[in-house]
Amino acid sequence: MIEARDLAKRFEGVDAVRDVSFVAPDGAITGLLGPNGAGKTTTLRMISTLVVPTQGCARVDGLDGKADPLAVRARIGMLSDARGLYGRLTARENIAYYGALRGLEPAQVDAAINRLAEMLDMGALMSRRTDGFSQGERMKVAIARTLVHDPPNVMLDEPSNGLDVMTTRNLREVIKRLREAGKCVLFSSHVMQEVSALCDNIVIVARGAVVASGSAPELLAASGCTNLEDAFVRLTGAEDAA
Amino acid sequence: MRPAWLVVLLKELRDALRDRRTALMVLVASILTGPVTLILVAQFVSSLEEKASTLKVRMVGQEFAPALVNFLKRSDVEIEAAPPDYEARVKEGRLDAVIVVPRAFEERYLAGDDAKVEIVYDDSRTDSGPAIRQAERLLRAFNRETGMLRMMARGVSPDLTEPVKVQHVNTATPRQKGAVLLFLISMFAILSPLLGGMTIAIDSTAGERERGSLEPLLANPVPIRQVVLGKWLAAWAFASCVAILTLGGFVMAASLYAQKRLASLMAFGAPEFFQFVAIVVPFAAMTSAIQMLICTYGRSYREAQTYVSYLATVVSFVPLVVMFSGLKDAFWQLAVPVLGQQMVLSRVVRGDPFTFTDWAVPSAVALAVAAAGVALVTRLLHEERIVFGRG
Repeated sequence: MIEARDLAKRFEGVDAVRDVSFVAPDGAITGLLGPNGAGKTTTLRMISTLVVPTQGCARVDGLDGKADPLAVRARIGMLSDARGLYGRLTARENIAYYGALRGLEPAQVDAAINRLAEMLDMGALMSRRTDGFSQGERMKVAIARTLVHDPPNVMLDEPSNGLDVMTTRNLREVIKRLREAGKCVLFSSHVMQEVSALCDNIVIVARGAVVASGSAPELLAASGCTNLEDAFVRLTGAEDAA
Repeated sequence: MRPAWLVVLLKELRDALRDRRTALMVLVASILTGPVTLILVAQFVSSLEEKASTLKVRMVGQEFAPALVNFLKRSDVEIEAAPPDYEARVKEGRLDAVIVVPRAFEERYLAGDDAKVEIVYDDSRTDSGPAIRQAERLLRAFNRETGMLRMMARGVSPDLTEPVKVQHVNTATPRQKGAVLLFLISMFAILSPLLGGMTIAIDSTAGERERGSLEPLLANPVPIRQVVLGKWLAAWAFASCVAILTLGGFVMAASLYAQKRLASLMAFGAPEFFQFVAIVVPFAAMTSAIQMLICTYGRSYREAQTYVSYLATVVSFVPLVVMFSGLKDAFWQLAVPVLGQQMVLSRVVRGDPFTFTDWAVPSAVALAVAAAGVALVTRLLHEERIVFGRG
């Protein structure tokens, strides 16, 4: 479970995040929806303890990120915006590197890789060097690397960016399977359709603050709109800007 | 469970070993060029010695100086008539030194007036030095002989003109003469760890950022200092290996001369090799840490590469400064990075003894600087502006 409470971050004089609070429960998919620059990435970085909040706190499974960042990181699998691989290493070596860094024994790493190869349908990729990989193949390696230690909380930052239709569909299947496994899934996106198709809960962020949250029907009711796109536009205030 | 620094170390080494650029650079830049340069310099030196060892003078107007020619022939000197365009040839470097005897020489010589001869040379050409000195020496010897004979003919003891008898006692051992040549080896010993540690230092800092793998790496539940430690150890290991291979190349190059006259000049065998390694390995710890530190500021691989080449330039200046500034060995120099190493390495090649302190001071300084560098990199990677702010 991930909880954000009054999170705020000032970064070189700019308020990247002003006021973000939400709860992402286990066994559910929570979507962080907002336009570019709304503060989604910074929020995820604060939860993953890579960025220290100027105000507020983030808890992962009840652990405070400020007090024990390493314990929080151990309970998270984070697919960040930056998902570079080591091109001279094979897919397997890339994944095993992260497994070892998270304290897995070689046998556990092997078992995890076999499990992920089947789940992500990437068995044939494993022993190839990643420098010739396509976007979709790279994505699979990055996801496998994120999940190698079977974390109870999974965060994905704009996971479908730059992916083709088929890869996006596969990604959605993977996210659903994570929910079935009882994990807390939190992902950010600026694509409304993607969020509405997948999420149990939607948290709408605009200009660094949460403007609305709830399930899709709840958001429709709150905005008084008949479709989600209109609701999104109205809630994020994009209408006023335009 | 393996400690995180070991996981990082092994990964970085594997990654670097698979990099063809690294392999090529190591092979060409350090292992080959060093020994090849040494061999070239050795050839040059031996050709100089050859020039000086065969007694041969070139003369113009030998028919005007029968007494001089007679003296030279008695001294087993081969006399060769210089061609008429000798001056142009000297300028072009095709002739080293020519003795020119004027027409009036014999007459003035016999009359006891000052009889002039000229030596024509171009001393901007360093390789003509031995031939010039040889011509001078022969003429001086002729002067002395003539003067002595004339004094004896007048009943004066020749000792009167030479109240002090100078005998040369040169304390330079043959090795020390060769130290100029071996200066080259210490230069390479100092530069090779810079070359060897470069790729890992860049790739594991600016390279990680450019690739977009730095953020996910730091998101692992591992203290950043362990990550930095592993990366630095990898860079250090690589830098040391390249330095050791380079020095090994010099041992091989020097062994080619073991049977020749230059053997004494090229004394770089196993003992010197191990002393060099003992000095260069701690030095490599420092260079790798500093390279990582400056590369952490690089936004891209290319930018970091530029910074690292500045460092190499600065470091390679130090031995030159020592050579031309006439800096004398002093204790404080031991504590100055690069200068200290340079000083001890030059003692090794000169065959001078060096104490434990001579080794320990520069090495301790190097390790302390390395530790400070690693600590600074760790601190920088805790900073959000370094990790995220420079995409």
